[in-house]
Amino acid sequence: MSSDEKYMRYLKESREKVQKREKTMDLHGTKRRLDKTTFVKHIKELLPGSELLKSHHQSYKQGDIILREHQENRRLFVILDGYVKQFKRSDEYDIAIDLQGPGDFMGLLSFQTGERVFTTARASSDVEVLRVGQGSLDRIQQDYPEISRVIQGLIFSNLSERYRRVVTLHIEIAQLSRELEKERNNLRETISELEQTRNLLINQEKMATLGELTAGLAHEINNPASALLRSVDYLTRVLPEMTEQAGALPDTGLVRAFLESGMQREVQDTEQQRAKMKKLQQKYPHLSRSVLRDMAELNHEMLVKVTPYAESSDRPKSLRLLLDSHKAGVFLASIQLSTGRIGHLVKSLKSYSRDSRAEPEVADIRLGIQETLMIIGNRLNDIEVDLNLPEIPLVKCYVGELNQVWTNIIINACDAMDEKGKLFISCGTASDEHVWVTIADNGPGVPDKLKDRIFESSFTTKTAGGEFGLGIGLAITKGVIQKHSGTISVRDRMGGGAEFIIHLPVYKGKESLG
Amino acid sequence: MSTIYILCVEDEPEVLDVIVRDLSGLEEVFPIEMAVSADEARQIIKEINEQGDKIGLAICDHVMPGDKGVELMIEMQKEEFTERTRKVLLTGQAGLDATVEAVNHARLNRYIAKPWDPENLVNVAKDELTTYVIENEKDLLPFMGILDAKRIQEAIRARGSISDY
Repeated sequence: MSSDEKYMRYLKESREKVQKREKTMDLHGTKRRLDKTTFVKHIKELLPGSELLKSHHQSYKQGDIILREHQENRRLFVILDGYVKQFKRSDEYDIAIDLQGPGDFMGLLSFQTGERVFTTARASSDVEVLRVGQGSLDRIQQDYPEISRVIQGLIFSNLSERYRRVVTLHIEIAQLSRELEKERNNLRETISELEQTRNLLINQEKMATLGELTAGLAHEINNPASALLRSVDYLTRVLPEMTEQAGALPDTGLVRAFLESGMQREVQDTEQQRAKMKKLQQKYPHLSRSVLRDMAELNHEMLVKVTPYAESSDRPKSLRLLLDSHKAGVFLASIQLSTGRIGHLVKSLKSYSRDSRAEPEVADIRLGIQETLMIIGNRLNDIEVDLNLPEIPLVKCYVGELNQVWTNIIINACDAMDEKGKLFISCGTASDEHVWVTIADNGPGVPDKLKDRIFESSFTTKTAGGEFGLGIGLAITKGVIQKHSGTISVRDRMGGGAEFIIHLPVYKGKESLG
Repeated sequence: MSTIYILCVEDEPEVLDVIVRDLSGLEEVFPIEMAVSADEARQIIKEINEQGDKIGLAICDHVMPGDKGVELMIEMQKEEFTERTRKVLLTGQAGLDATVEAVNHARLNRYIAKPWDPENLVNVAKDELTTYVIENEKDLLPFMGILDAKRIQEAIRARGSISDY
């Protein structure tokens, strides 16, 4: 049922209520004669025998307009049969005002006052009316005094009925607005509660991302830090001994040569090293495995130099010294490598987590993508990353926030591929106006029916147990992209998997700042 | 008497180096073999088996390219040759799931977090090897000097006499 139909039903009911009340009322002791039904019945009885009444009898089909708002009207309409809907145009809508039935008057106001018609009347069913002008009304009243007596009372009762209904409506409207106000307050409260919950969720999601990043960083830093620790530990142990022993060697330059060779050592295949060790074991059965393992790490040149010390079993300390020198070199190189790695990580982290409250900067978004890959490198162990990032125009952006976007999408891709697969990241220029970035995986892809929903908040495929993420990651992602006046969408990658496409506006020089 | 090996699996050569160095004191009795991947570890296991030797202890990183440490350990648990090998997970980043799986399916004996304390690593290795030799070796005397002497003594006593076994 449409709201209009509902309203009409309501009008009909309230009309009947008022009528019932009037029927029981004693108006100046003329109760019976004021009854609309009796009045209509009376006219219908007179109609067939009266040329005068017949000449004013008029039929309308359902849907006909009987009176139109704003038109001039010099006649009074009395409904004999059927129902008429009154409505008024407000802005672009027709608003239903009233429903009239047998015994009701139409055009009463314009007829009496000469003003233009106030409401439009449309036949709700087939309608029979008596339509009379002022002259005819006078004649009817002359010819049919019994009608004349009734008609004034009816007009009065009709107007009072209308007035009552207006008052009733006013009361109901007042009640409705009170209820509405209450509803609105409730809604306001609910909205503010929802906003709080949403902020909480966004914060939780941020914490989850942070947790993910921290875990990644811990892993990335752990390995070089362990290596550093061990290297320093080793050097602390062997250096004092080495300085002590160095004097016993005929040529102290040897120590330096072994140290330098160690620093330049290239990491050997463990398999090759094992083979080398087996050979050495056969050649020098008197040497222990740990000495042999260290020897197996020497390159050919150093192996030749160490041979005289390995062959005789009476110079174990000198042999140890040379091998330790080599090893010290290896550890020194490892310290260099580790500190370099940590330094690089810290640099990436600084740049990754730029303060989002700061002003936007004009940046090369490819750097952010590379930093993100570096920071979440622990998630990419078994993932082959296919980068295709040619030079693109600069973009004015909040670097830290965009990095969150890359992180979110890449981590989602890793989850979707169950940590094993291929990641494809490309960028380019769509027109002079936009740069695009696509991030694709060869995982299971996003089913068609979910493509529209994944950017909605609280959409997640991750189950609650143990997984990071509350399912608002992509909603936040979309929010960030929209903040940058960009767009994000998802489609199937050719050859399987999902592909996210992000468009961002190109920075157009100073005039577009702010 | 066949030789009992220690197998170390770790994808980063520098870290592998350090593990081996920390354990080098045990090498007089238990030679160490190193592998940088699960695949290489399988190769070494095969070679040791063919030589007629044994693997007493496997120390394994979890996060590696290719098969993960836990996968390798589960596989070792299923193979008759390596079923009795003591298994230690040495890792900086195995999630709860991987660890639970390792405990349940690979009969993981120990879990050591990176970065580790060298002394602790050696103690764990000694402890696990002690358990291994008590469970698998007839003659325990050669291990008294290098492993947990007290437990080995108790084991010998429990068996009744040195020659009784």
